[in-house]
Amino acid sequence: MSLPDIIKLIPRNAAALRRTQTADSAITPVAGNPVSTRLESGVGNCYPGLEADLRNLERRFFPFLEVDIANTEIRIVAVDSTAVTAAALPDAVAQKYRDLALGISQNQPCIISRINGNFGPFGNHDLNIAQLRRPSATSTSTSASTSTAPPDAWTAVRLLPENTAISLTIRLGTRSISLEGRRSTYLSGTGSLAAMFEPGELTQSLCSPWTHDFRDCGCFYWASNHPDIAQPPTPDASEPGVPWLAAVPWERLDRSIGSTPPSPANTTPPEELGHYAINHQWQSLNFVLEGRETIRPYKPGKFTAVPLASREELQLYLRYAAGLELAAIQEYLSAAYSLRSPASLAAGSLRNRVAASFAELMRIAYGEMRHLRAVNNVLQSLNGPAYTPALQVAKTIPDAAGNQSPVRARILDRQAILDFLALEQSNQSADALYARIYATLRQPGFGSDADCQSIRYIMAEGQDHFETFENMQVWLQGFQPSQYLHQNLVQAPAGNSAYKALQTAYRNLLEKLYAGYQAGMPQGAVDINSARSDMVAANGFGSAARAVINAGFLLSFDTISDTRFTSVEPPPRL
Amino acid sequence: MSLLPLPSAAQAPGSYRFRSSLGQHLLVVQHSQIYDLPEQETDADISLDHALSQMLARTLDNEVSLDTLSLPTVQSLSLNVSSSCNLGCSYCYASQGNFEGKQSKGMDWEQARSSIDRLLAGANPQAPLTLGFIGGEPFVNRALIHQCVHYSAQLAQQRQLDLRYSVTTNGTLLRPEDHELLRRHRFAVTVSIDGGSVVHNRQRPMLNGKRDSFAAVIEHCQPLLDQPGMCKLAARATANSLSLDLGQQFDAIAALGFQDIGFSPLRSGSALALQEQDWPVYEQAMISLASRELQRALQGQQIRQSNFATALKQLHVGASSPYPCGAGGGYFSVASDGDWYACHRAIGNHDYRLGDRHTLDAPKRLHFLQERHVHAQTDCHTCWARYLCSGGCHQEKASRSEASCDYIRHWLTFCLQSYCELSQARPDYFTHCRPSPRASNPA
Repeated sequence: MSLPDIIKLIPRNAAALRRTQTADSAITPVAGNPVSTRLESGVGNCYPGLEADLRNLERRFFPFLEVDIANTEIRIVAVDSTAVTAAALPDAVAQKYRDLALGISQNQPCIISRINGNFGPFGNHDLNIAQLRRPSATSTSTSASTSTAPPDAWTAVRLLPENTAISLTIRLGTRSISLEGRRSTYLSGTGSLAAMFEPGELTQSLCSPWTHDFRDCGCFYWASNHPDIAQPPTPDASEPGVPWLAAVPWERLDRSIGSTPPSPANTTPPEELGHYAINHQWQSLNFVLEGRETIRPYKPGKFTAVPLASREELQLYLRYAAGLELAAIQEYLSAAYSLRSPASLAAGSLRNRVAASFAELMRIAYGEMRHLRAVNNVLQSLNGPAYTPALQVAKTIPDAAGNQSPVRARILDRQAILDFLALEQSNQSADALYARIYATLRQPGFGSDADCQSIRYIMAEGQDHFETFENMQVWLQGFQPSQYLHQNLVQAPAGNSAYKALQTAYRNLLEKLYAGYQAGMPQGAVDINSARSDMVAANGFGSAARAVINAGFLLSFDTISDTRFTSVEPPPRL
Repeated sequence: MSLLPLPSAAQAPGSYRFRSSLGQHLLVVQHSQIYDLPEQETDADISLDHALSQMLARTLDNEVSLDTLSLPTVQSLSLNVSSSCNLGCSYCYASQGNFEGKQSKGMDWEQARSSIDRLLAGANPQAPLTLGFIGGEPFVNRALIHQCVHYSAQLAQQRQLDLRYSVTTNGTLLRPEDHELLRRHRFAVTVSIDGGSVVHNRQRPMLNGKRDSFAAVIEHCQPLLDQPGMCKLAARATANSLSLDLGQQFDAIAALGFQDIGFSPLRSGSALALQEQDWPVYEQAMISLASRELQRALQGQQIRQSNFATALKQLHVGASSPYPCGAGGGYFSVASDGDWYACHRAIGNHDYRLGDRHTLDAPKRLHFLQERHVHAQTDCHTCWARYLCSGGCHQEKASRSEASCDYIRHWLTFCLQSYCELSQARPDYFTHCRPSPRASNPA
């Protein structure tokens, strides 16, 4: 004898409940499955309802009843007799449900003719469902604004607040039955969908699988957690080259994996699967993990950084980290301003790419300012009144070859991008600067939760910056540096007025940051915001930088003799 | 702790299907899991129930396996402080504390102190400890009780141990200073009282020629009933073949003010023990009484029948044990001469003597636990209630009969039904239930 296909066991006592609440049976996040795959997380979508037909949420709005809702009719199609029995209702009430169930089984029409309840913005009403009307298209604006009832049955039910008292008048054949109860809730106490919903109930009535629906929608219509473009699968497990970094349509028709990647989504996109082909070939769509279609076993990285040996070493690392952020700001700014002005370029693809690259570099530079402040927040937390701002620039900076190179002015050539990628990527590895800081702060007695979050924030933004530099690499790869860079920039002489103005502007930035960090928040907010304003203002730091570039000089920054802003050496064992 | 495998019999049923007013339910025997079942056309589906029980039978990380034998730390100890009694109960298992001459004198202070030291030194400090007083009538040696409580309370406070106390008394010798002692400490006080004056005086006569032991109980227990302080007072009544009108007995005890009243059937050792034909009567009386208490609970009142109240709470937490009590495991009883016995009812019984004043006999203890594990009781192999009943009292294994086991199963079925109905109608009743260590059940 085979087991029934479905049997539903409802735990009654603690021992049974434990079976459904323990770690090995609980719903837990696993690699490759974002939380947004749960129906309850539909709100994370920009346009809720595309994972399920939300209208189905109202099918069981009244306890023990299942209904079909049309515009002006609510038809009861089933009674949950088991739940009625389990609820031990007063016999007179239970009899009403039995009558409804019997009538339905005899194919008698069973219609909810009236609902008495609170309809939100329309207030308390005893609604006649059959008389609900949508506002007529010929109505004047005055009459439309005075509508006093929901326009249709579904809207009426939807407006009923959860767990509020409602009463129904039901027409069963020639009889009239009244029922009172509380509007059902959508979620159970554990945050999952209420047990009253049957498996598959919410997704019935969707016209097609979601992969079918979204093919022809523009990418802004869909939530970011659904892939419509992704980096293509690579032929082997080696590190992919630049051409493989471009995103391609995820539902492309040609599923082969060749030695060259498919055409990028932003050029002439390859042909995509047809609507019904998606339904037939859904299994050929690859999983997307970390932005890339994955065809090999996925191995998530593990965080294995070794904590630092002492608090003193932690201080050294943090101060160098701040210096590294400052060094990155200097190099990113010089690289950004080495780009030609978009206005000087002919309209077209290159102009757009240069504009985008400049904007992104500036965004990253501003991000490094936030990182600088985050590190200083941690230092302030650790040192208390003894805190002094960390605004000394790092003497050296990691490069693509794995060496410590002197901080210098950069132009945004290919080598610079590779060096920037290496710098941002270095923050992610287990033996890197921030990883070790983070591992140390997590130890009991070292750092607070806020401190750990500050460092995690920096590491996460580092990942974002890395991906941005990857994009920049793609944007500029088809062009010669001479096409988009200022040519023949040289080191400015010390006496040059534009150069001196730049140094003064930079020094002023540091002074304001020092004052702001020293004062802490919120007292220091004025100075910090003023520093940021100077960075972005048209007549601020930017104009000074432009003046230097226009004079044909590299954007570089002098070493400052003030001990507050002088160079800082890397920790001994970094 | 050491773990030894002790697998259950292959034919042991894994589930039990029962019906309440709410519908059908399934008891998965392993770890006493209770599930509601949807209504189906057929009441029973053996293969389905078997498959479900197999799927759900696993032991979780925070549960103790039922198929292994463990040696827990000793957390509960009872001291036989007296070897005599002022009552002459006709069915006393202890011969008024003398155990037929095997315990001829009461315990002295040095013996008690060393036992207390040993309990406090060896117990798991993360769990509660219990020090109990038993005998004959413990308050015959009241001075020792007072000394033990003061000494152990001070020691426990220094070591930050959660030490609790218990005493089983006939209630006739309590004095004001005893009341004060019981009020000031966490005492579980069990008063032996069998019912109204007629029943009680007949079964528990005084030895001094006076007949009215019932009046003495009232006189000496009333102050505690009025002002219990920190102690919890419970009445324990013995049911024998001559006194099966449990409802009447219960009402008489409740009229005195007791809110915790339990019945213990007399199974062996006396001509008044329940016979085959008595068990159905006892069952009917117990269920009838519990039904009354269930109605009170549904109306918002507490359940006073402790057999019933305890069963419901144990079902709620999913209590499941291969042993009926802690005997030889977490509980020992110390005779007046310092020997350690697995059970206070077995003083002088060589088979139950598992240690002396210096040490426990580990091999013998292990053998005892192996032998008494429910998986080793062949009569229990086909019973779905084997982890709820756990084979019954070790001392009464010889009196196990089909009738008495049928009573257990019927009683537990009633309790299961009641639990489902009460938890549905009044879930708040179980809001504060917590798994509690199984307390020893003195006679």
